[in-house]
Amino acid sequence: MINYLRTLLVGALVLSSSAFAKSLEPNDDLERELAYLAAERQVVVTASKMEEHVDKTIATTTVITQDDIAHIGARNLIDVLRLVPGIGITQTQFGWREIEVRGVKTVLSEKVQIMLNGHPLDHNLQNAGSAWVYDDLPVDTIKRVEVVRGPGSALYGANAFLAVINIITLNAKDLNGVQTSAGWGSFDTQQYRASWGKQFDNSAEAAVHFNFTDTDGINSPIPADSLSAKGLNSSAPGKSQLTEGRYDLEWQLGYQDFKLDGRYINKKAGTFFGLASILSDGRTQQDYNDYFLRLSRTWKIQNNFTVDTQVFHDFFSYDNTWQTAPSQFSRNGLQDTRTGGEVQANYHISDVQTLISGFSYAKEQQSNLIDQAGPDPAHLTAALPSTEERIRERWGVYVEDVWDPLKNLRLSLGARYDRYNDFGGTFNPRMGFNWEFIKNYSLKFSYGTAYRAPAFGELGLVNNPVLLGNPTLKPEEVKTFETGIIAHPVSGLTTQATYYHSAINQIISQVPVQVAISQYDNSGSVIAEGVELEMRYEFDGSLQGSYIGANHVLQHSIQLGRQLADVPRHRTNLTANWAFDNTWSSFAHVLIKDNTSRNLGDTRNDVPGYALLDLGLLGKNMFGKKVDVSFNVYNLLNKRYYDPAPASLNFIGDYEMAGRTFFGHVSLRF
Amino acid sequence: MKMINFCKLLVLLAAFFATPGFAESSKVLIVNSDNTVYRYETIATEFKKVLQQNAYQWTEFNLDRHANAEEELKRLIQQENPELIYSIGTKAYSLARIHAHNKKMLFSAVINWRRLDIDAGTYGVANELSSAQEISLLRYFFPTIKKIGLLYNDKFSREYVETIKKDALALGINIVTQSVNDAQEIGEALDQLLPKIDMFWIISDPIVLSGKDSVRQIFQAAEQQKKPVYAYSDVFIEHGAVLAISADIATIGRQSANLAMMMDKDKVPGGTVQVPAGSTITLNKCVLDALQLKFNQDALDSVNKIVGCAKND
Repeated sequence: MINYLRTLLVGALVLSSSAFAKSLEPNDDLERELAYLAAERQVVVTASKMEEHVDKTIATTTVITQDDIAHIGARNLIDVLRLVPGIGITQTQFGWREIEVRGVKTVLSEKVQIMLNGHPLDHNLQNAGSAWVYDDLPVDTIKRVEVVRGPGSALYGANAFLAVINIITLNAKDLNGVQTSAGWGSFDTQQYRASWGKQFDNSAEAAVHFNFTDTDGINSPIPADSLSAKGLNSSAPGKSQLTEGRYDLEWQLGYQDFKLDGRYINKKAGTFFGLASILSDGRTQQDYNDYFLRLSRTWKIQNNFTVDTQVFHDFFSYDNTWQTAPSQFSRNGLQDTRTGGEVQANYHISDVQTLISGFSYAKEQQSNLIDQAGPDPAHLTAALPSTEERIRERWGVYVEDVWDPLKNLRLSLGARYDRYNDFGGTFNPRMGFNWEFIKNYSLKFSYGTAYRAPAFGELGLVNNPVLLGNPTLKPEEVKTFETGIIAHPVSGLTTQATYYHSAINQIISQVPVQVAISQYDNSGSVIAEGVELEMRYEFDGSLQGSYIGANHVLQHSIQLGRQLADVPRHRTNLTANWAFDNTWSSFAHVLIKDNTSRNLGDTRNDVPGYALLDLGLLGKNMFGKKVDVSFNVYNLLNKRYYDPAPASLNFIGDYEMAGRTFFGHVSLRF
Repeated sequence: MKMINFCKLLVLLAAFFATPGFAESSKVLIVNSDNTVYRYETIATEFKKVLQQNAYQWTEFNLDRHANAEEELKRLIQQENPELIYSIGTKAYSLARIHAHNKKMLFSAVINWRRLDIDAGTYGVANELSSAQEISLLRYFFPTIKKIGLLYNDKFSREYVETIKKDALALGINIVTQSVNDAQEIGEALDQLLPKIDMFWIISDPIVLSGKDSVRQIFQAAEQQKKPVYAYSDVFIEHGAVLAISADIATIGRQSANLAMMMDKDKVPGGTVQVPAGSTITLNKCVLDALQLKFNQDALDSVNKIVGCAKND
């Protein structure tokens, strides 16, 4: 108490008789403090200056963080993408999955550009697309996935047609030590991962990831094939043979302003059904190798002017043996490479305006063709080539200006011109604005075009009895405008509504030229339009860490006056995460998908819609923040549901997807 | 040489080599964001005092005194080749980091250090006290307080506020936050926030505290709604804050110097960024009584300074 009285006495103050000050008289201490804060206010850390906040971009963007991925209990990239509004995932007869974007879906997913740390992964020049080896990409090493829906060619060039999926992986700083994880699940699925990262005193840094995955596949029942339907001997009824084994190694090495990064992937897979109309008996084998190597450097010319340079080499090869009849096999293989470089100048004209411009060059080459056939896969003989060796050169120039003329208004204007030695040039602009018209309410508008370059297989398919290549093909084109509102009506709540309209022209399709013979040609168009609604509410206070989310798409894609086949009109995702405490949380996900219609001439009933429930339990930062564990149940109610099979396989009905499955996961940090 | 002289020389040499500090070529470069700013200047002065006591060499570079500060700093780092660069303030750290390359880095007086890119070999003394300790003390002083609100700017304080929220959650306190883009939004933000909370927390956010008007606005709104204000610095006590827990500025300077010497000897304890070691708890008894707040009387012994109401003459 003496202490109390002493301090009370010492502290007798110059306060007015009111408890609160009525006005601020000159006060040295406060002025000093405000002067300090003013000095600190001058500096906005520039490391992430060009990383736009989702609210500020003109594009429709969804970001899935590492934390989200952990809650989802995702086994691979496809599990992550399933939750993104406007994206749907379905099975193909060959094994890999199709990525449907905004009501448009193709077997090769070639209209979606997947990137790893900003590097395009469309390394398969013969058939385009990246789903070949990236659909089941392990997610343990992913920091976040950014999905930008809409055309992206004005920045990224070829094949950023309907969406760009950029996968950002953990770097040395994120790792800062060793991390390992392991997962086990249904269908004898095993996943193992080891990562190491370190920043050294001499400004060097290194991060290395290794992933291994092996699974027996979903063993989907296949009731019939074209032989069994005729009463002939076949493997049907049987099960899908979608075994998969893959490993990959990723590296990110940095020293001062230099960076060397890349990823190597080897994937061996069976097939879901097979290449032809007979069920493979397990002797179909797909073998893919894919890597890229990139050396980059950022040059700081001035404080406000930097130049990013890079050279890269991409490699993709496959060596696949397909069973085309009970005693007939064909082996096809090739190697694709892309070597090139890019120079990008970033000029921060002012705090509110940044100009980016760049030049890129790449040489693409297809070689080392393998074409064999025969009754015994171990003793095949040379067959006529199915495609051509080919070289393509391309260059592009681009410019983009991001300008905030007002505090609440962002304008973005960009364009890119690409020139190819085989089909000529293509020009793609992009423009838009983001206007926060009321605090926490932003209006977005954008217009842009994009292109997809003809794949080598479309240009040079040869010796195929039913399908011919076409060396005069032009690129596919899409023009999209979209508008939307993103709002935060109350603290913790984010809502977004987007309307889009895309006109796809010069679609590269198979056009009949003779009886039973088709040829690739630029023919037809598709109008795709729709509305995407999203909301997410993050709880505060004692429920912090918990959230609920929902997204719903209403999409309408028309070709020749008909709704596109195999694409639902409605799709809904409902998610909820409940954090019990700082460690434990549970996650629930409901996917509701509408019926999908059939192609013209396919008399089967529509593929029925379904609702699936997934549940997960996650324990994070246990045992001194070193251990995470999770356990997820997919399709908890064991709902029987189907992905659409093409009309050519109508005798099997559709592809039955997995029932109730499990996946457990442990992650350790050292 | 006689044996006795030889022994003298030996003792002299031993004493020379045993002198604590860097070897002859070792230097510390102090980069100060603005030496006219009281906090920066005080920290620098205390830092240098400790270095001097320990016979360390240093060079000082004040950014406010150079028109082309970055270029000159770059040149100075090349010339002096310091073993350690001590940055005072965010501006100093941001510039020094660009040119530090493999040098050891130390910083202090940086608002919300978590927003910085921190490389290996970089250490610091935080500007903010441990939010877990602050919340524990708040709960000890005011056991009935359940909801604490704060305003912040996303660019400057997001990471710090996230830390506060996490720490508060673990201690059963609900932190209600509202972000503001500039000072004009403070009034509306306070109108929305104050009715939802039991206490308002002033954090060291440069946008929220952009001037005296902002401070006045905060205290007027809090008074109208009879909400107590807790502040990170005791400069707000005389404007109506009921409690302040302030980091001691001079101690930050001394703490940084001790850390620098440990870095020199590669004996840095765990954790790259330390919280300030010294703090002062100031209670405004006048506001406490006026608001009739429930206060834990046992906590009085923890208070360093108690301020009463002054009489109007």
